[in-house]
Amino acid sequence: MRMSLTRSKRRTAPTDAIDATDSTTRAASGSRPRRPLRGAALLLAAALAGSLALSACGDDDSSDEPAAATATTFPAGSTMAKLQSASTITVGTKFDQPLFGLKNLRGEPEGFDVEIARIITDALGIPADKVKFVETVSANREPFIEQHRVDLVVATYTINDKRKQVVDFAGPYYVAGQTLMVRAGETAITGKDTLAGKKVCSVSGSTPAERIRTQAPDAELTLFDVYSKCAEALKAGQVDAVTTDNAILLGLMDSDPGAFKLVGEPFSTEPYGIGIAKGDDEFRTFINDTLEAAYTDGRYETAYKDTIGKVEPDMPTPPAVDRYTS
Amino acid sequence: MAGRPEQRSEHRADYGWSHIDAVLDNLDIFREGFVQTLRLSLFAAVSALILGTGLAAMRVSPVPPLRWAGTAYVETVRNTPLTIVFFFVVFVLPQVDIVFSYFTFAVMALTIYHTALVCEAVRSGVNGVDAGQAEAARALGLTFSQTLRLVVLPQAFRNVVQPLGSVGSALIRNTSIAAAFGVQELTGISQRLTTANPGDVVAVLLAGIVCYLVLTLSLAWAVGLTERRLTRTPR
Amino acid sequence: MPLVTLEGVSKSFGKNRVLNDINLTVEAGEVVCVIGPSGSGKSTLCRCVNRLETIDEGRITFDGRPLPAEGRELARMRAQVGMVFQSFNLFAHRTILDNITLGPRRVNGVRRAEAEEKARALLERVGIADKADRLPRQLSGGQQQRAAIARALAMEPKLMLFDEPTSALDPEMIQEVLDVMRSLAASGMTMIVVTHEMGFARSAADRVVFMADGRLLEVAPPKNFFAAPASERAADFLAKVLTH
Repeated sequence: MRMSLTRSKRRTAPTDAIDATDSTTRAASGSRPRRPLRGAALLLAAALAGSLALSACGDDDSSDEPAAATATTFPAGSTMAKLQSASTITVGTKFDQPLFGLKNLRGEPEGFDVEIARIITDALGIPADKVKFVETVSANREPFIEQHRVDLVVATYTINDKRKQVVDFAGPYYVAGQTLMVRAGETAITGKDTLAGKKVCSVSGSTPAERIRTQAPDAELTLFDVYSKCAEALKAGQVDAVTTDNAILLGLMDSDPGAFKLVGEPFSTEPYGIGIAKGDDEFRTFINDTLEAAYTDGRYETAYKDTIGKVEPDMPTPPAVDRYTS
Repeated sequence: MAGRPEQRSEHRADYGWSHIDAVLDNLDIFREGFVQTLRLSLFAAVSALILGTGLAAMRVSPVPPLRWAGTAYVETVRNTPLTIVFFFVVFVLPQVDIVFSYFTFAVMALTIYHTALVCEAVRSGVNGVDAGQAEAARALGLTFSQTLRLVVLPQAFRNVVQPLGSVGSALIRNTSIAAAFGVQELTGISQRLTTANPGDVVAVLLAGIVCYLVLTLSLAWAVGLTERRLTRTPR
Repeated sequence: MPLVTLEGVSKSFGKNRVLNDINLTVEAGEVVCVIGPSGSGKSTLCRCVNRLETIDEGRITFDGRPLPAEGRELARMRAQVGMVFQSFNLFAHRTILDNITLGPRRVNGVRRAEAEEKARALLERVGIADKADRLPRQLSGGQQQRAAIARALAMEPKLMLFDEPTSALDPEMIQEVLDVMRSLAASGMTMIVVTHEMGFARSAADRVVFMADGRLLEVAPPKNFFAAPASERAADFLAKVLTH
């Protein structure tokens, strides 16, 4: 009963929130200064400057208009009410994942995950400039949630049962899957069954690298420590395909427009969810509701078009959220 | 009283065996990585030894341009991180259509880097040989290269066996960088096995360390043996 | 035709002029002893003859030809000039036999068996035949210097240079080396000997060269020089060294 009540009340909120989201997105993409550098120079620069870039974060850009105050009220004591009255929220995301969460040169993360997070923080009535993004690399996503250092994590975060034992997931909001990236002019490789005798690149010790061993046993595997090297090797013609989650492959395509394309059907399923503290079902439901609303009112599509859509214009149908009982 | 220590030891045995399975079940994969590391080390060591000695000869030669070229090479390479040397070889050379297998590239990168280290070890050994030795050789009518080959270097090498051993040991450890550049050697194999056996990370990594130790300790043993043989008095 | 000629030879180390306008000729078969106080330039003079030191001015000829520049030509010339150093400079990592055969085998292309046979004969001649298979450091200083002489002789040189060959030796070993040199001189070898051994110079030299401050002050047969030195510097020098 209470659930449906909060839901109907919140319905009024998005109208105001959309404007705020739009202006943020426009501001971010309009002045987007990142230009794809070429080849080895980029790799070298990345190797040298990687650590520097990581520390150059944290300047608040408060030029965005604060979101208009909303009339939404949340049940007393709920996470939503606490966040709303604090009027601030901390979101964990990737800072190094193009199209999903990548820090731009002004130090702000941008990408699909960031836009999804904005949809939720707007629904909570938190002004855009009060949303604090922190970097969560893969290994510290669960610890950060458990230690309440972040309120939610939107970070190419695959939902699985092992993780569900320590955190809860809203969503999924996107389904990634392992697939293949080839040179734009490639015709011989059309999927994982056409890889016999071909050189396939992935990252040493990664799950996709192990999966391709069984899925395409006749392919010759070349392994690097990062995917950017695979992309470079692919461009140079030293390997014939790169394989990992399409989310990562799309990012590689974004940094070198026109050089590559994706081929074949995905041969794994990686549902990306929004990680929150274990047991906060109220908050989880709220996020699921917000996602479903965004699916239908165009905000999800806008988020997609502004980010992933620039590389892969065909938007997949948004996945049904999984309101599992824990 | 009697039951408790037994229980504990049994528990400890369980712990060890279950984790070591991750290694024992994958011995063939480990051997593959071990062999790759060994091959990388051997190829690079032999080339670096030959080229580094040649480079040292350039640095002590009476021809100034050769000395300058030698110095420039050593100072450039020695002050460049090995990872950057790998980047250069693996990603820049193909842009000028120099393409080899990633294994060959790795051997090249390791050779380029360790040639400079070998050169400096040999050069310090050469400088440690009394100048009178070279003078006597020249006075006999030996050419510069004969003087180096027959008189100076053999004496320099007994001074540099130990420093060369250190370079070799560094080389063995540095082969691990090849894991990031397309060669599945010990480190790459270890990464792969830790992904496949996330519960046995420590056992897998320990096995990797043991493999490296086998290589470096064998080298240390060979260095000690060589040193003893070189300093032994004949008859 | 003289075997060695020096014409107007000068050389400086920085500001220090160690050789100043040296003129000297050495005939084949002649034994010339160079004497003089320390720092007079006599060692440098000796080392210039086989171009272990380069000269700044003047001209040096050996066997009628000017000394070649660094390279194979110079190596061939050096092969004809034996040199004995103050500190022996035997190759520390090679046996005495190897020390002696190295030059003949590597420079003259003599076969090993032949080179070794000749080396043993030379060791016999200098009195250390039993040391053939030892390393240099296992020999006394006198024995090492005799081995070094044998090494130089193995090249069948036209000229032998001795650069203070007894200066690094203990007194009781000096005589055994001088004896070898004396018999060599008697055999007709052309020798330039830089030495402090006045007794050797007096008895073995055909001519004595006296140097001081980089200049060549006197050239005379030993009996004239030692009896009546022409220059005051030489007289002073002899007064000092002969009072002992």
